[in-house]
Amino acid sequence: MNTKGFLYGLRQSMTIGVGYAPVALTFGILSLKSGLTVWESGFMSLFVFAGASQFIAIQLIGQGATIWVIGITTLIVNIRHILMSFSMIRFFSGISLGKLVLLAQGITDESFVLNSKLLEEIPTSEERSKVALGVNLGSFSFWVVFTFIGAWLGNKINIIFSGFDFALLALFIVLTISAVNRDNLLTYLIAGLFAVFFRMLIPGKAYLLLSVILASALGAWVGQRKRAN
Amino acid sequence: MGIEIIKIIMLMAAVTYGARVLPFLLFRNKKIDGFLKSFIQLIPVALLATLVIPELILSSNNDLTLYNPFLLTGILTFIFAKILPNLFLSVLFGMIVFWGFAKII
Repeated sequence: MNTKGFLYGLRQSMTIGVGYAPVALTFGILSLKSGLTVWESGFMSLFVFAGASQFIAIQLIGQGATIWVIGITTLIVNIRHILMSFSMIRFFSGISLGKLVLLAQGITDESFVLNSKLLEEIPTSEERSKVALGVNLGSFSFWVVFTFIGAWLGNKINIIFSGFDFALLALFIVLTISAVNRDNLLTYLIAGLFAVFFRMLIPGKAYLLLSVILASALGAWVGQRKRAN
Repeated sequence: MGIEIIKIIMLMAAVTYGARVLPFLLFRNKKIDGFLKSFIQLIPVALLATLVIPELILSSNNDLTLYNPFLLTGILTFIFAKILPNLFLSVLFGMIVFWGFAKII
């Protein structure tokens, strides 16, 4: 039997990398404009590794916001990661704490969605953890390296190929095809409706967390009732 | 490096990593059943929908628009990936088509 491991995960992460590279480049370039140095910019990507919150943070830093405002804003934007790692536990029963603590840093919207698809098809926890490590480390490396490159190049380059704006969205759309089935279609549609509704209603990124929780809970509740009958 | 920026980065990292690692620490090797199991299994599709649907039909000012390069490219990418289920080629296709539409629209 063919076993899938770290290298398989790393190869799969290239798709995320194509989407991350231009975004990270842009982050590097913009962070210098907000007054960060190359190292500060790179270290933010290394330690935080959460795109949306980083863009918001450099904007706030540029405006002279206090550390607490930035901290609370980051929490609001990134609290949804709780849901993602909560959802991933089912793949990793019996995996050592040391490995889990390492895997945790690599959890993003993109790596989570890709892992949720890939790991479903892999039989053992041990293999799953290796593949996930490859996906996460690959995505992480793209993000950090291209932040540094962006910050080093500073204002010397212009990204003119607008196709990069669609890269991550395309990834999500392709993954939708294999992720959505008859059992979870309802949850998908409700989540989409909620997301549009809440985004028009509430400023910021809170709509993400809210829609995911409500739609998953509703979908689970409906599913339980169906099974009970 | 400025001390203030380092403090900011560390606080951001603590908050974000906390959200990532907490469920691993709390629920490691715990059996999850029933409602909670269905709930966590539905999170990936729910997240996919919330990441995709608003981007396709809402403008950056949150106005509802159907004639925009995101929705048109999204539909074509979906069809392309249905016919040719290859992750990398489909993403590449989406990028090129979007580039084209963004020039026209």
